[in-house]
Amino acid sequence: MIIAERKPLEEIKDMVKGYKKVLNVGCGGCTSICLAGGQKEVNTLNADLKKDLSSENIVLDIDAFVIERQCNYDFFEALDEMIANYDAVISMACGVGVQFVAERYPETPVFPALNTVFCGADRDIGWFEESCRTCGECVLAETAGICPVTRCAKGLFNGPCGGTRLDGTCEVDKDTPCAWYEIHKRLQAQGRLENIIKIKPPRQWENQTRRSLVQEDYKQRYIS
Amino acid sequence: MADQEKKPVDTAAIAGMLKKKEPEMKRILNYCVHCSICAESCFLYMAHNGDPQYMPSFKVINSLGKLYKKKGNVDREFLEGIKGLVWGNCALCHRCYCPIGIDIPRMIDFTRSICRSEGVYPEQDGGESWL
Repeated sequence: MIIAERKPLEEIKDMVKGYKKVLNVGCGGCTSICLAGGQKEVNTLNADLKKDLSSENIVLDIDAFVIERQCNYDFFEALDEMIANYDAVISMACGVGVQFVAERYPETPVFPALNTVFCGADRDIGWFEESCRTCGECVLAETAGICPVTRCAKGLFNGPCGGTRLDGTCEVDKDTPCAWYEIHKRLQAQGRLENIIKIKPPRQWENQTRRSLVQEDYKQRYIS
Repeated sequence: MADQEKKPVDTAAIAGMLKKKEPEMKRILNYCVHCSICAESCFLYMAHNGDPQYMPSFKVINSLGKLYKKKGNVDREFLEGIKGLVWGNCALCHRCYCPIGIDIPRMIDFTRSICRSEGVYPEQDGGESWL
């Protein structure tokens, strides 16, 4: 799931200053689940903004609304009917949602209230951990399910480097396990240690343009 | 919306929301022939060994269908009661297939909007499971 966190209030305040009527739109998808941009967080942000701006004698007319997913236009119908009533929109979705809202309503300024931080897993309530950098060249099959791109400080494909400490931690932080040490341990336990000597070619970084994907079974639908 | 949780449900507001989508709701309630084809296109229904509570048509008929039949005249307990059906039992993946063309996810989405308008929504930090 995509993990996000709220921007500092000052930053959001600066974005909406000067607009009279603002709609804060939450997302019922990932940012609800990671406790950053769901209905509860939309209401909290609105209350914080109103309170803070009122101390500067600024009255902000701000409403709250949540759509189930800001990354799918199928859920925008109710928002379509409301948008003309507002001078600006705050989006509490991830960067994908913010861009989708901005694309849908090009005449309305759309401001992000969140920083999209990573793709991660839930460790516990409110505790998330990055697990994938969406590099597009997954090597987890060979690295015993531990991602070297995400978990190695240098993102090494053919690690480890010389910076592994004797206790198996990384030279950049004594609390961070060396990803390649962890990979070695797990491969050894699985009897697949031969994987570690396989050389992987360098990543094709030059291909980092905007990505788009149509699943094989749906290609006929979009490509004539 | 936290104060809303203590207030009585605004039944007139719900009735107003329902009125706006009346033709669509009539369609689903009149045309669903309970063929259950939608069931097999739902991964949650399949993953729960065919538990009817995960059948897409069941979810709509027992949430929005009931809301419509009651003309929005429901209490908070009712809305809390359907929360599990429209959030817990549906991922809104849009994969359910209806041979008649009923847009089931659209109806679930609408039901969630009605719940949200009254401050009823899943508490992600309250131990409620997403699925």
